[in-house]
Amino acid sequence: MSDAASASVRDLSGATNMIECEGVSKWYGDFQALNSVSATIKEQEVVVVLGPSGSGKSTWIRCINKLEHHQEGRIVVDGVELTNDLRNIEKIRSEVGMVFQQFNLFPHLTVLDNITLAPIWVRKKPRGEAESAARALLDRVGIPEQADKYPGQLSGGQQQRVAIARALAMEPRVMLFDEPTSALDPEMIKEVLDVMKGLARSGMTMIVVTHEMGFAREVADRIIFMEDGMIVEVGTPEHFFTNPTEDRTKLFLSQIL
Amino acid sequence: MTDQQTTDVAEPEEETSNLPPKVPRLPPGEWMKKNLFSSVGNSILTVVFVLVILAITRGLLGFAFSPERRWDATATNMRLLFAGAYPQNQFVRMWVSLGIVVALGGLSTGVWRAGGRMYLTSLLLKGYGVGGAVVLVGILAPFSGSARLSYFLVGGLLIAASFAVQSATDEDTTVGTLAVGLVGVSIAVGSFWVIPYGHHAFIDGAQVVSDGTVAATTKGPLTVMVILAVLTYFLGREIADRVDAGWPRKVLSLSWLASPVVIVFFVLRDPDFDYGHIATTEVPIFLAYAVGGGLLLFALASPRIGEVGRIIAAVTLIAAAATFLTPMLQVIRILALMLAVFALAAPTFSGNRAARLRYVTVWAGVVLGLLWLITAINSPATVESNSSFFTGGLALTLIVASFTMILSFPLGVILALARTSNMPLFRVMSTTYIEFVRGVPFITILIFFSVLFPLFLPENMEVTEIAAVTIGFTLFSAAYMAENVRGGLQSIRRGQYEAAEALGMTTAQKTVFIILPQALRVSIPPLVGQTIGTYKETSLLAIIGLFDLLFVARSLIPNQTSFIGSVREQLLFASVIYWMGAYAMSRASQNLERKLGVGER
Repeated sequence: MSDAASASVRDLSGATNMIECEGVSKWYGDFQALNSVSATIKEQEVVVVLGPSGSGKSTWIRCINKLEHHQEGRIVVDGVELTNDLRNIEKIRSEVGMVFQQFNLFPHLTVLDNITLAPIWVRKKPRGEAESAARALLDRVGIPEQADKYPGQLSGGQQQRVAIARALAMEPRVMLFDEPTSALDPEMIKEVLDVMKGLARSGMTMIVVTHEMGFAREVADRIIFMEDGMIVEVGTPEHFFTNPTEDRTKLFLSQIL
Repeated sequence: MTDQQTTDVAEPEEETSNLPPKVPRLPPGEWMKKNLFSSVGNSILTVVFVLVILAITRGLLGFAFSPERRWDATATNMRLLFAGAYPQNQFVRMWVSLGIVVALGGLSTGVWRAGGRMYLTSLLLKGYGVGGAVVLVGILAPFSGSARLSYFLVGGLLIAASFAVQSATDEDTTVGTLAVGLVGVSIAVGSFWVIPYGHHAFIDGAQVVSDGTVAATTKGPLTVMVILAVLTYFLGREIADRVDAGWPRKVLSLSWLASPVVIVFFVLRDPDFDYGHIATTEVPIFLAYAVGGGLLLFALASPRIGEVGRIIAAVTLIAAAATFLTPMLQVIRILALMLAVFALAAPTFSGNRAARLRYVTVWAGVVLGLLWLITAINSPATVESNSSFFTGGLALTLIVASFTMILSFPLGVILALARTSNMPLFRVMSTTYIEFVRGVPFITILIFFSVLFPLFLPENMEVTEIAAVTIGFTLFSAAYMAENVRGGLQSIRRGQYEAAEALGMTTAQKTVFIILPQALRVSIPPLVGQTIGTYKETSLLAIIGLFDLLFVARSLIPNQTSFIGSVREQLLFASVIYWMGAYAMSRASQNLERKLGVGER
C-alpha cells in the first residue's frame, strides 16, 4: 500500500497539460451522451473514470482519439486541437494508445505481427527494429513465449496484454483504457491490472474507464465520477472513497462496494 | 502453424503424424442397425430409398450400356470435344500447355509438401466399395452373359485383393495419399498401352476405326505428363529441402497467376507472331515506365518527402489526364493513370529501403502484367487454320473461365470497396454499375461484347472475339463478386476498424492489412460458388457462335453423317466433364478454407 500512498500524494502541479477538454458535448440523435464535459489531465497523471453504465465514460475517452466525434466544445491533446483535418487526427491517434474492452486484436495476424504492423507502416520503423521492440514489450507484459501464436490461441487475459503491448509499440504519450477487464474471467483480471499498474508507475499518462475499485483506489491520482454524460465529482481516491460530497456518488458507492 | 494448434490438444507421441486419432469403427452389422434400421419408420425409409436408388442406377446403366449407344461418336470426336477445331499439326502446343499446368502442380505439391497419409484400412474400405459397385453394375446393366461374368470377376478380384491386403497388414498401417493417387493415375494411363480400347478418330476428315490400343498421339503425351508430374514433385521437394521455403512459394504463386496468360500465348500465337512490334513498342514502354516510374515511386515512397511528394503526385495525375487530350497509344495512357494512382498511394506504403524497393517491384509487376494483357487483347490470334473458330471445346471453356476468374476478382474487390467507401462519388458509381449489371440478362451483355463492343474501340485497335467475350464475362462476373466481397466486408466487426484507426493507420493501410484479408477469407465460399457459376455459364458462348464444349457435344457431333442423332451420349459425357471441373474447384476451396482457418476460433 506504500505505492498507493505515494501515488496519491504525487505532486503533479508543475507538469504540463496533456489533455484539455472544454465543454465537450455529444448527441446520438436526440439523446445527449456528453453534456459539457470539462477536464484537464496532466502529464504522467493516472485518471480513473467511474460511473454507472451509460453514463458517457466510454464515449468521452473515445472522443479523445476521435473514434467518436464531439459536436460542441474543444479537445486539445498534447497541444494539438482535434479538428476534422484528417492528418491532424492520424497524428493524434499515433500519440494516443487505446485498449478496448473486446481486445480487438487482428485475428489473421500473429501476435508479433499484431504488434509490429503499425510501427512499421505508420511510424515507418525498419522491420527488425520493430520486431525487437515488440519482443521487448511482450517480455514487459509477461508473455514473451506467445509471439508466434495467433490471438485465437490465447486466453482473454493474454489477449488483453497483447493489446496493451500493441498500443505501447507506437510509443504513445497517453494511454486510454476502455473497460480493459470487463470482458475477462475473474482469474485473468489480475494479470492485466498488474501490467497496468506497472505502466502507471513508469510514468505513463493514463485515462482508465473501469469498474475495478481496488485498482482505482491503489493507482489513481484522481478519480472522475460521471453520470448522465456529466462529470459529477472529481477528487483523489481518498476523498472519493471515504468522504464523497455528492449524493449521487454516495449512492453509486453504496451500490458497488 | 497447424503444428502449434495440434500440439495443444494432441498427445506428444502423435506429433510425428498429422492423422487425427482413430475412431473405433463399429462392425458393419451394428453400424447398419444404428444408422439405417434404428426404428420401424427408419427401416421403411431405408428400404424405399435403396429400391429407388437401384431403380435409377439400373435405368442409367441400361442407357449407358445399351448396344444402341454410339459411344464411338464420343471416342472419335475426343479431339473436337477437348480442343475444338485446333489445327492438328499445331496440337503439340495444347500438350505443352497441359505440361505447364502439370509441372506447376508437381512443383507446388513438392514445395508445399502437400499430401498427408491415410490409414490403409480406409483405403481398403474404398476397395470393397468399388468392388461391390462393379459387381452391382454387372448385375444391373443389360449385358450378355460373358460380359456380365467379366464384371463379376473384376469386382470379386477387387474385393478379394482388399481382403487379402487387410488380413496381411497391421490395423495402423498408413499409406501416402499422393502415392495412392499416383498409382491410380498410372494404372489408368498404363491401361491405354495394354487394353485394346480401340482407336477412333477423324484424321484429315476421314473417319478411322481400328482395333488395338489408343492412338500413340494420346497415350504418349499422357504418359509424359505422368512422368513429368513425378519428376517435378521430387524437384519441388529438393528445392524445399535446400532453400528457405518462402521465396519458391512466392515464385510458384506468381507462376500460377501468370500461367493462363503464358498458356494462351502458347495456344493462340503462331510462329509468325510479330515479335518485332513487341521489341520496338511494348519493351521500350515497359522499360520507360518500370524504370522511370520506379525511380519516381522510389523517391515518393520516402517517409521524409512530405508535402513535396503530394505535389509531385498531383502533377503526375494531371499529366496522366493530359495524355487523353492528344492521340497516343492506349497503353501509355492507361499506364500513366496507374502511375498516378501509385504516386498518390506512395506515402501510405512508404518506409525504409526494403519497403520502398518492394513498392517499386509491385509497380514493375503491374506494368508488366498490364502490358502483357493489353498486347494479348490487341493482337488478333493468328494460328493457321481454315476456320476462324480454331479454339473450341473444353480448351475454350477453360481459357474464358480462367481469365474471367483472374480478372474479375480484383475488379470485384475494387467495386466492393468503392461501394462501401465514404466517398459519395465512388459509392454512387459502383452501386450504379453493380445494380445495372445485375439487372441485365447475361446474354444481353454477351451479345453486346461480341457484336457491338468492337465498334466502340478507338481506331487501329481490334480485339479477338475471345478477348471481347472474356471482357464481357469479366465485367458481368465482377458485379457479383463485388456483392460477395461486400458481404465479407460487412461481417468484419466494428472493433477491427476502431483498433486500426486507434493505431493511426490510414484508410488504405487499414483496408489492405486488416479488413480485406479477413473479409476475403469469409467470402471464399460465395466467391468459389460464383467462379463455378462462371465456369458453367461459358456454355452460353454457343449463343454467339463460339464452339464451346457443350455446343460441340450438343450440335456438332450429332450432325456428323456417321453419328447422326447421338446427342444424349455426348450430353452425358459433357456433363461428366463439367462436373469434374466444378467438383475439383469445390474441393480446392474447401482445402483453402481449412488452411486459412488457422488462427481463427
